[in-house]
Amino acid sequence: MIAALRWVVFIIAALAMNFPVIVTLVTSFKSAREITTNPGFWINQPTFANYLQVLEVSDRLNIFAYLGNSLAAALIGTTLALILAFPAAYAIARGDYGRRILMPSVVNLRAVPLIIFAIPIYMMFQWMGLLDTQLGLGLMLTIVNLPLALVILVNAIAEVPLELDEAAKMDGASTFEIMLGIIRPVVRPAIVTTFIFGFITAWNEFLFGLMLTTNKAVPMTVGASFFFSASGGGVQWGPASAVMIIGALPPMLLGLVMYKQISGSMTAGAVKG
Amino acid sequence: MQVANRREWRILTTPLVGFLLLFLGFPIVVNLVYSVSDVTFETLRSPTITGFSNYIALLGEGDFWRASWFSLRFGILTALAECIIGLALAIFLAPLLAKRTFLMAPMMLPLMVAPAMVGLMYRLVLHEFVGPVPYYLYEWFGDSPTFFSVEAAFWTLIVVETLQWTPFAFLLFYMAYRAVPDEVHEAATIDGATPMQIVRTIDLPLMVPTIIVAFFIRFIDGFRVFDNVYTLTGTGPGGSTTSLSIYIYEAFFKQGAIGKAVAASMVLFIASFAVLFGLNWLSSRKSKGARA
Repeated sequence: MIAALRWVVFIIAALAMNFPVIVTLVTSFKSAREITTNPGFWINQPTFANYLQVLEVSDRLNIFAYLGNSLAAALIGTTLALILAFPAAYAIARGDYGRRILMPSVVNLRAVPLIIFAIPIYMMFQWMGLLDTQLGLGLMLTIVNLPLALVILVNAIAEVPLELDEAAKMDGASTFEIMLGIIRPVVRPAIVTTFIFGFITAWNEFLFGLMLTTNKAVPMTVGASFFFSASGGGVQWGPASAVMIIGALPPMLLGLVMYKQISGSMTAGAVKG
Repeated sequence: MQVANRREWRILTTPLVGFLLLFLGFPIVVNLVYSVSDVTFETLRSPTITGFSNYIALLGEGDFWRASWFSLRFGILTALAECIIGLALAIFLAPLLAKRTFLMAPMMLPLMVAPAMVGLMYRLVLHEFVGPVPYYLYEWFGDSPTFFSVEAAFWTLIVVETLQWTPFAFLLFYMAYRAVPDEVHEAATIDGATPMQIVRTIDLPLMVPTIIVAFFIRFIDGFRVFDNVYTLTGTGPGGSTTSLSIYIYEAFFKQGAIGKAVAASMVLFIASFAVLFGLNWLSSRKSKGARA
């Protein structure tokens, strides 16, 4: 009896939380006519027309450019965060170097409203010619990704037995060689998790996409909103739904594949808050 | 045996420190200077220091206080709702999920969708003519509330935010709940405790540190909300859904009021540090329990 009730509660909760995605998915397969005549869940005549229309590139709307920009900026933001965080994490975990100031400053960034930094960075990017570039957006996403990257990597490295480092040092390896040759392969799973999780976070970021890009480097989250003001005569809900599904799909698929690792890393950041 | 010396540790941390100084340290200094200057888009490079007039103007402005009040209420109410629902779901569903970890996937899926996208999606979901929610409400009850009126928009956003982020609280609580040793539960059952008593007297006290941390994280995220509010209601009817983040964005990009925007940034910076100190103090006191 109570077991059945658990199933009911689970299904209701899962449906309620995923409701917007379900509705958008259903709508994306309806024709323009059907959307206005039948707002319900059942599709009478499924169609791919919305997706085909969205994939068509126009002067104003170019979904491939948005996807490409999101991909490039997220890759830069994730890779750079790893490159910066990994050696620092090694120093923090093994040498306790930076544990008092560096580590808390970065970890607390997770909780600071990043809009605080947005205006000076906007001006800085303007001077440096980084406004509306994939690199500029990628640099911002690096900041977004650093806190969790550092926490995950410090925890992972701290769990590697120190004897490994010591044995390598006896054999005459330099610190750099130990870090890259011994530690990096051992913590590979943590690096992969950091990468996937960082990629999802970066892909989903909106504020800096909105502020720092206008045209050439617009990411998917911002580009999707363009489809809501596409042409005269109000929103075209079919294509708009198709765009939202396409834009939301990459992080959702990554999340589905990696949900176990991701749940661990999310709580890692939270618990160390 | 030390693996490396101090100089080597410093070299390894230098890239990160340099990056932070450039992209965060420099902006803080610029904010500080601009917030006490008379600065416009023309005088960016040679601002005149004018003292605290920006702060005084900001603190005397009704819109700023309204945005602060929105963010504060939004943060507290969503964090409360997410923690209560998340806690109830975690404890109630734990027996179901324990042997079926794949069921965690649909529960976590909302966390993977961009909040900006979720805001856009709800425009469709709640739309008067094409949205299924008003459609079915009309079908079943003959009436549907207006979700984006001055009074309702705030609560619509609360529900939207709660539905997306309850899984986060749920996840934290589920892990904390699973970490309570089974022997404790068995011993209590043998002593004749009811499931409700066990939850109230054993599980909840053990989960208090996690509950505090989850509440703070969700409060901070709710307080600084931007994406889904901006894409769903913009600033709302009559500015009724302007969060502090949106206020700063609008002041800078729409009004070009740089001084006011950076002054508001500094106020937000100080406020978030106050909250962070509280959080760090709490978690350092309770960290042993929270890490379990």
